[in-house]
Amino acid sequence: MSDEHHSKSSEPAEAPLHGILAEYDTPHEIVHAAEKIRDAGFTKWDTYTPFAVHGIDEAMGIKMTILPWIVLGAGLSGLATAIIMQWWMNAYDYPWIISGKPLWSIPANVPIMFELTVLFSAITTLVAMLMLNNLPEPSHPLDLVRRFAHSTDDKFFLLVQASDPKFDESETRALIDSTHPQAVELVPEDHKTSKQLPSVLIYGLVIVSVASIVPFALAAKGRYSHSTTPRIHIIQDMDSQPKYKAQRENPFFADNRSTRPVLEGTVAVGEEREDDHFYLGRQADNSFARTFPAQIPLNDVTMERGKQRFGIYCTPCHGQAGQGDGMVAKVADGLQQGTWVPPSNITQDYLRQMPVGELFNTLTNGVRNMPAYGPQIKTEDRWAIVMYIRALQRSQGAKAADLPPEARASLH
Amino acid sequence: MAISDVNPFVEPPRGPNMFAQITDNVTRIAEVDKPPRAWYIAFGFAQLVLLMFLSSLGYVVWNGIGAWGNMMPVAWGFPIVNFVFWIGIGHAGTLISAILFLLRQNWRTAINRFAEAMTIFAVVCAGVFPGVHIGRPWLPYYMMPIPNQMDMWPQFRSPLEWDIFAVSTYATVSILFWYMGMIPDFATFRDRATTTVRRVAYGIVAMGWRGSSRQWHRYERAYLILAALATPLVLSVHSVVSFDFATAQLPGWHTTIFPPYFVAGAIFGGFAMVVVLAVPARQFFGLKRIITIRHLELMNKIIIATGLLVGYSYGMEFFIAWYSGGKYEQFTFVNRAFGPYAWAYWTMISCNVLIPQLHWFKAIRTNPWTTLAIGLFVNVGMWFERFVIICTSLTRDFLPSSWGYFIPTPVDYMTLGGSFGLFFTLFLLFCRYLPMVAMSEVKAFSPAAHAAHAHAGEHAHVPAPSHAEPAAALES
Amino acid sequence: MASENGKKNDKKKAKARKGGKQPKGEQAAAESTHGFADQIQLAGAGQKLFVQAAVVAGFAFILAVILGNSEGDGWRRFSFSYLTAFVWLLTIGAGALFWVVLQNLVNAKWSVGIRRVGELLASNMPVLAVLALPVAVPLIMGNDVLYSWASKANVDADPVLQHKAAYLNPTFFAIRFVVYFVYWTWLANFYLHKSIDQDSSKGDGSEQAASMRGISGPAMIGFALTLTFCSFDLIMAIAPKWFSTMFGVYYFASCYQAINAVLPLILMWLQRSGRLKTSVTVHHLHDLGKMLFAFTIFWAYIAFSQFMLIWYANVPEETLWFKHRFADSWGTLGWVLLFGHFVIPFFGLLSRHVKRSRKALGFWAIWQLVMIYIDMYWLIMPEESRQYLDVNFKLIDVACWLGVTAVFVAGLAYRARGIDLVPTKDPRLPKALSFENI
Repeated sequence: MSDEHHSKSSEPAEAPLHGILAEYDTPHEIVHAAEKIRDAGFTKWDTYTPFAVHGIDEAMGIKMTILPWIVLGAGLSGLATAIIMQWWMNAYDYPWIISGKPLWSIPANVPIMFELTVLFSAITTLVAMLMLNNLPEPSHPLDLVRRFAHSTDDKFFLLVQASDPKFDESETRALIDSTHPQAVELVPEDHKTSKQLPSVLIYGLVIVSVASIVPFALAAKGRYSHSTTPRIHIIQDMDSQPKYKAQRENPFFADNRSTRPVLEGTVAVGEEREDDHFYLGRQADNSFARTFPAQIPLNDVTMERGKQRFGIYCTPCHGQAGQGDGMVAKVADGLQQGTWVPPSNITQDYLRQMPVGELFNTLTNGVRNMPAYGPQIKTEDRWAIVMYIRALQRSQGAKAADLPPEARASLH
Repeated sequence: MAISDVNPFVEPPRGPNMFAQITDNVTRIAEVDKPPRAWYIAFGFAQLVLLMFLSSLGYVVWNGIGAWGNMMPVAWGFPIVNFVFWIGIGHAGTLISAILFLLRQNWRTAINRFAEAMTIFAVVCAGVFPGVHIGRPWLPYYMMPIPNQMDMWPQFRSPLEWDIFAVSTYATVSILFWYMGMIPDFATFRDRATTTVRRVAYGIVAMGWRGSSRQWHRYERAYLILAALATPLVLSVHSVVSFDFATAQLPGWHTTIFPPYFVAGAIFGGFAMVVVLAVPARQFFGLKRIITIRHLELMNKIIIATGLLVGYSYGMEFFIAWYSGGKYEQFTFVNRAFGPYAWAYWTMISCNVLIPQLHWFKAIRTNPWTTLAIGLFVNVGMWFERFVIICTSLTRDFLPSSWGYFIPTPVDYMTLGGSFGLFFTLFLLFCRYLPMVAMSEVKAFSPAAHAAHAHAGEHAHVPAPSHAEPAAALES
Repeated sequence: MASENGKKNDKKKAKARKGGKQPKGEQAAAESTHGFADQIQLAGAGQKLFVQAAVVAGFAFILAVILGNSEGDGWRRFSFSYLTAFVWLLTIGAGALFWVVLQNLVNAKWSVGIRRVGELLASNMPVLAVLALPVAVPLIMGNDVLYSWASKANVDADPVLQHKAAYLNPTFFAIRFVVYFVYWTWLANFYLHKSIDQDSSKGDGSEQAASMRGISGPAMIGFALTLTFCSFDLIMAIAPKWFSTMFGVYYFASCYQAINAVLPLILMWLQRSGRLKTSVTVHHLHDLGKMLFAFTIFWAYIAFSQFMLIWYANVPEETLWFKHRFADSWGTLGWVLLFGHFVIPFFGLLSRHVKRSRKALGFWAIWQLVMIYIDMYWLIMPEESRQYLDVNFKLIDVACWLGVTAVFVAGLAYRARGIDLVPTKDPRLPKALSFENI
């Protein structure tokens, strides 16, 4: 509010009249004055107060804003966005199962539904409030009135616009005077301030908005174009590390290999495996052994161990009784994919005849699509499992006569 | 009388008009040429601490998060403790602005603005920690639902992903709420501006607000709607943070009371931070007439109430841990109270449950300095609460072979302490340049605004309140 | 569901309209005695209500007993129906007590005019204590129909129950039961008596107001603990292996919802019968409606958090409880709760106009009370058969509900005789009367 403006506003004759401004000291006075203006039937008028005066809405006859309905709409669209986004991204476009939950697991999607509902509503509240209020409004004829600066401080103002159909300078003035204002002032139209934004600002905005597209355009180009030059690698993400990987070239060594061979004539600690019977299940003539090696005590402890290990490693496919009907086999059969090689029934005859050394070898190295368990199960345990398999084979085809007398008695 | 002629921190505000008094009381802080020396000292110190924060974070980013004490099994360690702590602090602001608004607690107008500011700065501090803790702070956009080079979408069933949405929504809505509240006050600043720079700067942010009643009508509705939206939001944010823990099967984390318990704890800690800031602010910025002893007392009452809610949750956790019959749950809770972290547990209990009980005495809750002291204790206690939850549960889980003991490194302490530098730098700048008290709201609830209403039909001026504490009467 | 509610609503209205014609004469008398320009005594309508409610209660209980006796396992059904009805009623009684303590704790001014109604509701606690006896006595005697842990044989057979026996045993339950109801009765009577003292106070009544306020802080702590453990004992312990730290809060959410639904209904009934015409305005009802709305959301928040955390972690001993309640027709009832107790009333109560319209607010208040009953039914009834059979609403459920509710209403009418329905001497009353709500 420079003095220059002030002098202009005090000479209303220079410019056409924008309206009549009245100043009041208390909120009560402005409410009272507003009632009078409302009752006189004016439509283009307003009051300006430093805070939301209690009762002014009614005094001015302001209708309830539609803002709540706009916000409700925004909230519902936020909710819909969240639902569709989560369904499409996690259950449709890129379906993946997390911690056994269904692909479209609604309880886990509720928090984000709530957050987006609130986010959309809140942003809309502010934006819609500003738009309905016609803000931002860079200039207004009242800005030229010096005393109007107090409208945001401690005074209360009432403005009746000259464009109101009921406006008549002297009559309106009289009406306003009858409300006992502190001061009355004629407000001229503002001809000094340009109706349009300064061209610098417009060009600036255009340049900034064009420039802001450039990074996105570059990213889009990058996604769809090919290049032979390596990308700029600002952040290394531990991509290059000071170490040599297996099977790579390494000029440091004479043979140019990064992998070093085992030194001749050495054995690594714990790798000495001289006993072929125990470690490979083979006899001296390289045929499969028909007896258990001496290291394995043939007693209940070993049997119990074998039963337990069998339960852990073998039953998933072969089943508790070794019939080849474990849970994995059942599920795989159920899927009917046609590529499934069913697990053997280990109580079959040819397996009964098979030497223990060969069974041990099968456990160690696997067969068909049964994997090698050598790395997973200790040597002693593999023998214990073989022992338990022998017991299973015996029990599955057993006749009553095979039972000891006291057990036979309990059958009846 | 030009504002610079007098020392605004000593002189009483201008004139008998209460509205003008309120305006002066608030605007002079931002309009004065030089703030008090205490501000410079505080700001300089905050800058040093901020420098420590930035350099320690730089060290972490450069060397990887191994620079922190995080290890297996305590992979979360200090950064997540600090995150939850700061998010908790950030709850009081929105609570004061929104929930107390809906409950018509008009006394909140004296403190809501800077509590909101505090909220936003606390959320900024909170956001830094997970941002760095993800290990590759340059890839946070993987967590956003935007197309990326891996052609993958975020995993919306993860509570950590919910956190991204909850915290960013909370930050956005808090800023909107804060900004919207400031629009009329920016207009006051603009209209009082004496320099072009100030007029243009405040003019832009005020967006041409002129206080038209037709605008006020929509503004008030919008404020009410934002408050109604922010209320469930503030509950949801800390609830979602608690889901980070409670959806797990880890003993000590998986308990259904976590959401309301975390919310109560957040309000508790947040209010403690508000009083910790309010006591010096009213002292140094001469706001004793606006932030009165009564305001401190009311906040202290909320501190007792929420402190008791937190105590209730501690008790329920213990009871149900026993009642459930789960061995692991029982072990975890016994371990909390008597295990290697017993010191942290009992610090938490003393600060959060025992010390706030002093507020039952009126002499203590109406004294600014005991208020400040207890507020500090509560803040320490609430930090330890998060430490206890995160560290004791993680150090000893189902497998004794993988037990461990978390030892923070100096970098941990530097980032924790440094975050206060960021917080106070922002807060001091806010005090200096922005309306620290919601003037238009204080005016609307001042006796002058109501006196006129009550004396309907009279033309009398507002009874000049002279120096009879304008704000003391605001509390009607 | 909606039409059923509508009918109930209509009946209530018809009843209220009948009552509305009579107390014209009483009004003048009340004015002269109290100098308060409003009809604030229940007077004749109270007596009539007492008789009607007592008769209804008698018939309902006879019907319930006959129905219970007529089936093979009918007593079992009776016990469960009765428990469901009782915990539903307790939400109102305990909710009223909480509401009264809360109003004093926060020094609420807007609610002073309607505070007495809440105090009367809360002071009906002895009636609730008596109504609880059919649940508590068999338990204490060691009957395991409702609570399997009440019987020693069951406990000996189950290591989990053995572990919990230190808490879940008939003796300790008896002690707790006495503590709850003695404490609540004492607290409710304290508030009612202080408040009535205030009416005849020589001074400005601020002395009583201060003493009611002084006790409210500690009283609230005691209330929080007793309500929590009471909900554990009566509802959670029905399925003794299940547990949730949130359960006390969950039950509390229903309590506070119930009182905010019952208060507007009672006030509307009183106003229709010509009472409290000027003391209670649409602004007060609007506020109660806001609270009803807020706690509709709060209930949903608590219920969702409890469910989601258990569903997500999927720990067997917790999930099983929900699995039963989401299987088959119980699952359907769960969906009814989700929509009926949250989604539909959320949109129903969202608008300001609804909360300010008596008809609409009354409709939603009754709706939410029905939903709280369904919630309690969903919590308790699946355990009835211990085999989680289908939902099976029976006439005996209605009879039990009607019986306990009618006894409660009779007790309320009896309690309210000769008592002013507005604390006329409270210094904050003028603020409450001129209260305006946006």
